[in-house]
Amino acid sequence: MVTRLKEVDVVIVGLGWTGGILSKELAEAGLKVVALERGSMRSTEKDYSLPNIRDELRYVVRHDLMQNTARDTITVRNNPSQEALPMRRLGSFLPGEVVGGSAVHWSGHTWRWTDMEFKVRSNYEERYGKNFIPADMTIQDWGISYDELEPYYDRFEYTAAISGKAGNIKGEIKPGGNPFEAPRARDYPLPPLTAILASEMFTAAAKNAGYHPFPRPSANASRAYTNPDGAKFGACQYCGYCQRFGCEANAKGSPHITVIPIALKNPNFELRTHSWVTKVLKDSDGKKVTGVAYTNILNGEEFEQPASVVLLCAYAINNVHLMLLSGIGQPYDPVAQTGVVGKNYCYQTGVGATLFFEGRHFNPFMNAGGSNATIDDFNINWNFDRGPHNFVGAYNVSGGFNTVLPIGYRPVPSGTPQWGKAWKAATAKWYQTAMTIAASGSVMANRYNCYDLDPTYRNAFGQPLMRMTFDYRPNEHRMGEHAAKVVNDIAKSMNPTRLNQATARTQPWTVVPYQSTHNTGGTIMGTNPRDSAVNKYLQSWDCHNLFVVGANVFPHNASYNPTGPVGALAYWTADAIKRYVKSPGPLVAA
Amino acid sequence: MMRSVMCAAAVIAAASAAVADGDAERGAKRFEECVACHALEKDKESVGPSLYGVFGRKAGEGADFRYSPALKRSGITWDQASIDSFIADPQATVPGNRMPYAGIADAAARADLIAYLVRTFK
Repeated sequence: MVTRLKEVDVVIVGLGWTGGILSKELAEAGLKVVALERGSMRSTEKDYSLPNIRDELRYVVRHDLMQNTARDTITVRNNPSQEALPMRRLGSFLPGEVVGGSAVHWSGHTWRWTDMEFKVRSNYEERYGKNFIPADMTIQDWGISYDELEPYYDRFEYTAAISGKAGNIKGEIKPGGNPFEAPRARDYPLPPLTAILASEMFTAAAKNAGYHPFPRPSANASRAYTNPDGAKFGACQYCGYCQRFGCEANAKGSPHITVIPIALKNPNFELRTHSWVTKVLKDSDGKKVTGVAYTNILNGEEFEQPASVVLLCAYAINNVHLMLLSGIGQPYDPVAQTGVVGKNYCYQTGVGATLFFEGRHFNPFMNAGGSNATIDDFNINWNFDRGPHNFVGAYNVSGGFNTVLPIGYRPVPSGTPQWGKAWKAATAKWYQTAMTIAASGSVMANRYNCYDLDPTYRNAFGQPLMRMTFDYRPNEHRMGEHAAKVVNDIAKSMNPTRLNQATARTQPWTVVPYQSTHNTGGTIMGTNPRDSAVNKYLQSWDCHNLFVVGANVFPHNASYNPTGPVGALAYWTADAIKRYVKSPGPLVAA
Repeated sequence: MMRSVMCAAAVIAAASAAVADGDAERGAKRFEECVACHALEKDKESVGPSLYGVFGRKAGEGADFRYSPALKRSGITWDQASIDSFIADPQATVPGNRMPYAGIADAAARADLIAYLVRTFK
């Protein structure tokens, strides 16, 4: 039996960064808000405090904060000719499944994506001509501009306690920051983290090579901080347990210490944990949504929660899955190239080198989520001419450490046996002496990289699993070759005792090992309903009282981590919804 | 256990002379580093225990908080000197305590912080 609950103004599916921001903002605007979260309540006090949080088995191997694949997972294949098989254990990416979502276990890297992404097709066509973009590369402009988003980036950076150094304030280039960044109204709320030896060495080498290194902006508070909402942050202690862990020092910008507790104090807001949304409900003519159906996963009880506005704020993959399960928007067909929901799934790519310096002591256990130095010379810099290298996209290069764990991090020079006495001797010898230089690269949309519903496999609720079809294309391979050369040239200039060189990947993508939790696309934003699922306010073209918030709206993936624009777009959408509820209807004419 | 108690006691004795007269105003600013985890109000336990009534309290007792065995065993009674030595290097003073904080190396800054706590609670 399904219990039909009392209607509320807004129901929010998923309570991470986006759900948390929208919960707080809309409850404060006087709307009655209910948030439904699959996972359980977790807090720094009870769960992320010492000594229990420093548990690699629980959090890294057993994925304590992540999605339970026994209940729901995805099926995966590289191309439409293959049969997709279920991913039975998390690997390549790690969606969060607790209050706070993936923003509990993220590292904190926070970037401002610029018009280089938002106007990607126009930019490349203008510079290199229409033929430069391969026919199967389905990139498109986003329908939004950096200038529109700038105040919202600022808002998110000050909420999440970003430590960094501005490189461009109102057009004035600032020494020590990223000279290629788009103009910002003011500096970051906090100064950069203290540089570790590895990032200092990378910085020196990058400068020698003529590049422009700067400290990576990150939501690891370099000092104690009180954000504009009054949330208190401790200073980062460089404990090294950042990615895949909740922060023991309340120093990592996460919704469970900022927006969510503020929402929870508001009588307009209610949180229901262990609530698994199975479907978004539509009215009879399909022009509006009426609420959501969900199951309490502790006891199997089923509910219908009617609402005037529905916000999908789950992990990017799960937002798209809910759209497909609910039959909202036309599913994308990669062969006929019709429909939009499931289109332009993108991932990221990268290469890395490990450098060994005999006699050096890097103390790799001591670092923060963002204690790297980065160069953007091959990223948001148009002076880097892609023409001769024949690829669309970009990559950033960084040196340093980011969560290298005492047990899991075992750097050894290539050629070392993979187990046994020789391996043990090598890992003891080289542990203190290694550092990495890595490139993180964009992935452009391709017509065959997409999501749809799997025809065979079903989840614990009897619903089809999401099917992911993805592989890298020659464009990404060409970029990988360029990036590997740049990384290796910097590495060699540092004269390491031993060097595991970066090599461009050429093998098909697989779900192991861990690569990046930066899955984008599927319900992409755009200027018209023919080639996008939502408008620039993340409002569904099909049902105007449905908003789909998260990296699932990105029409392609950049080299940067996605949380900056995800957070900014959440604030941007909150403002749009405040306008929308006064006079409901499409915010952009179709 | 006996050794660690003696060790802690020795550190405290050495440090006590270093507690100079701090500036409570500067200390209030310095305390901002602590507020993400420690409240000053009674019974307000957070990531760390409330510091209400800290002077004269035995370490690991008082607040309704899950203290580490290391702190409970430390034998410390909190006063200006013992807080000073603990805050200088928490893990060296009480190895195995569960406060994720590297400490304040600057003696003058510690004195300011302690002056602020004294002003708050005395």
